[in-house]
Amino acid sequence: MTMLVGHQQTFDEKWPAMQPVILKLLSQESVTRQEWQDLFWNVHSVCMWDDKGGPEKVHSALKTNISNFIKDAQSRIRSHHEGNALLRAYIVEWQKFFSQCVYLPEPFSQLEKSLSDRTNKRKQEQQSIVRKLMLDSWNKNVFHSISDNLKDRTMVLIQEEREGKSVDAQLVIGVRQSFVNLCSNAEDPLQIYHEHFESSYVQATEKHYNSAAENYLNDNGVREYMKYAQQKLSEENQRATRYLESSSVSVLDKHCVSVLVSRFTDAMLAECPHMIRENETDQLSLMFNLMNRVPDGINPIIKYLSEYILQQGLTDMKECRDIITTDSEKYIDLLLVLFQRFSTLVKKSFNDDPRLLTARDKAFKEVVNDYSVFSLELQTKAKQNTVKLPPESRCPELLANFCDMLLRKTPLSKKLSTDEIDAKLKDVLLVLKYVANKDVFMRYHKAHLTRRLILGTSADNEKEENMLEGLREVGMPADYVNKLARMFQDIKVSEDLNQQFKENRKDRASDVANIKILNAGAWSRRSERIPVSLPALLEDLIPDVEEFYKSKHTGRKLHWNHLLSNGIMTFKTDIGQYEIEITTFQMSVLHVWNSRPREAISFESLRLATQLPDAELRKTLWSLVSNGKLKRQVLVCEPSVTSLKGFNDSSIFNINHQFCLLKGGKTQKRGRVNLIGRLQLSTEKNREEDNEGITQLRILRTQEAIVKILKMRKKITNAQLQTELVEILKNMFLPQKKLIKQQIEWLIDNKYMKRDDDDINSFVYIT
Amino acid sequence: MSATVSEKGDAPAGKQPDQLFTLKRWNAVAVWSWDVECDTCAICRVQVMDACLRCQADNKQEGCVVVWGECNHSFHNCCMSLWVEQNNRCPLCQKEWVIQGTGK
Repeated sequence: MTMLVGHQQTFDEKWPAMQPVILKLLSQESVTRQEWQDLFWNVHSVCMWDDKGGPEKVHSALKTNISNFIKDAQSRIRSHHEGNALLRAYIVEWQKFFSQCVYLPEPFSQLEKSLSDRTNKRKQEQQSIVRKLMLDSWNKNVFHSISDNLKDRTMVLIQEEREGKSVDAQLVIGVRQSFVNLCSNAEDPLQIYHEHFESSYVQATEKHYNSAAENYLNDNGVREYMKYAQQKLSEENQRATRYLESSSVSVLDKHCVSVLVSRFTDAMLAECPHMIRENETDQLSLMFNLMNRVPDGINPIIKYLSEYILQQGLTDMKECRDIITTDSEKYIDLLLVLFQRFSTLVKKSFNDDPRLLTARDKAFKEVVNDYSVFSLELQTKAKQNTVKLPPESRCPELLANFCDMLLRKTPLSKKLSTDEIDAKLKDVLLVLKYVANKDVFMRYHKAHLTRRLILGTSADNEKEENMLEGLREVGMPADYVNKLARMFQDIKVSEDLNQQFKENRKDRASDVANIKILNAGAWSRRSERIPVSLPALLEDLIPDVEEFYKSKHTGRKLHWNHLLSNGIMTFKTDIGQYEIEITTFQMSVLHVWNSRPREAISFESLRLATQLPDAELRKTLWSLVSNGKLKRQVLVCEPSVTSLKGFNDSSIFNINHQFCLLKGGKTQKRGRVNLIGRLQLSTEKNREEDNEGITQLRILRTQEAIVKILKMRKKITNAQLQTELVEILKNMFLPQKKLIKQQIEWLIDNKYMKRDDDDINSFVYIT
Repeated sequence: MSATVSEKGDAPAGKQPDQLFTLKRWNAVAVWSWDVECDTCAICRVQVMDACLRCQADNKQEGCVVVWGECNHSFHNCCMSLWVEQNNRCPLCQKEWVIQGTGK
């Protein structure tokens, strides 16, 4: 049986049936289904049953046949000498041959198996043996000898395409395929392609633009050149996608960038400051796209942008110096206009690239915190640790003032729609983000809020609360925001208490009085007791309020803050009857005349009657003899004085019985006027202390932060300490180098820390 | 109040409507604070008028009250109730801790 089968399955017997089919396949003639299947069967039989070297015989016979076929093809190609014809002939033959490389190996899969079984099981080899045989033969016989010729010809074609002629893309692609597929190096199948085709392509491209780009720039100038470069970069990228392996596209891009962009960065950047100044966003966007492809290319753009923002911002502020230093609304408006302008520039020109946004933020921050236009002097007279801080921008103060104008009932807040106010408050928060010394803002904002809540002049409670959330969101310190929140709560609690008190009493005094009892922790820690005599009705009320409060709470003491309290009195003159809104101090002064309306009273007597301290009495009298709002004043002083310092003990005061309100030049018989003005929150003496308070608090915060950092790090270099300090403190203020240095010295002197013995620039925590 | 009305014949304002000045409204402001000898809670080192650190963190400022001992020392009630679990003595004077009262 074995003999019989073996006899029928030898190579010599089967080959005559196989060969014609193989030849047909090679020359792409049609093959019937039967022939195709028989070929499979025959290959299989020979490989399985011919044990006298069957597979090897098939292999070498196949090789001979392929070689012969290729030799024919070669001679067909060789008949063309002229470049393009040769190329075209090659491509025709190659494409035919290459497509057969896919089909022909299939019937020989059994051969592959038999051969690889014997040759040390190199099964992992990707390429089939037959395919490799075909391609190797092609390479040896055809391609190797003419590859340089083909490559040069291809480059010529590409160059022609670059110059605008139409070119048969298939020719270029075919040559590339040859380079890619005809590599026998299994480790790096693209080796030949890289070494010959890709590098020639890149060189040719570079060579072309070396001269072309320079000429274009010289003929057309930088602006036109940027368009040209942009266009060529994208053209070359598309071409590369067509003609190169995908891995080569980025290589080519890099070379294109270096030949089209890197060489001319100086020329392009020279235009940059001008473009920024003139807001030429299209040009800038072009430049940005080009420079962004050069390593570190946009750094100069960042520099120009920062310089422009800083310079433009300061110039604009200086031009409007007179207006913005007095009008906080105009000032904030100007800042916002600048911010919008810079932001639009960055958006349109640089597509909001994060690096340029950072540059914008940094430069804008400098504009906001610049103090050359107006400065705020903070200093301290504290004995220990005397620090004089450098001047600061008044921005945070003006910002807080503007915020107050929006939240209080003012002509501005009445004029604006609720959406407009919301938008402006958002703007305030936006600018606040750029303010370095937020502690100054906090102080002014809290003072304004105190006035609004005490006087009940908030325009809209909801907006107040939204603002509070806004402050929280921009990262104001939580303890600060919580205190503000507590003030709101406190006012509500106090209203309930007032209600209860009124219901409890139901008499004339409780009818007139509204009491606000507030938490000292949230509102003000220090408030000195200022003596003042009150009308008897009110004087009698006070112990009753205290009694009532004791019944509601235990363990609390009350402290009356008459500086903040205020009221309304009716003022009856010879002309009419008016309601005047006044402070408690004004009330105390005016009340003195109730029992002797027409008498002249001296400064000294008033001091005795009201018990007010000299400074407060002067201020109160000044507000009654020279109120900017009034044409006719409430009090008349003799001799007349030009400032509150002019009063002396013998100055004489009279009620102005001709007092009246004027409207359009006409006297009014009735009306209401506010004489409180800006509610004074503390006395002169305290205000100085408040100013010092900010500096003192900064000193303490800095010390606290240094200790906190050292406790964690144990040992830290000076540079790192500075960085971490700024990080911790930036939500409150930007610590000055000098301040940090002084506090470090203080902490060293007081043995909280010391310098490292080995390294003078490092600090060590002392436990 | 230390101040008294010094002028004679100062009758309640409302009864004489033809007076020169007639009081219509008075908005009186007072601040309250805990009646303590020392402003700072010796346990958490926070001012007693502010909530203790725990309550600040939990945002429960309103409920954080003060407690007085028989020794007249005062602390945040929250701080002290944790303290007495360890040691039933006043942290300042070491006397046995007896509550005199709590704030409300």
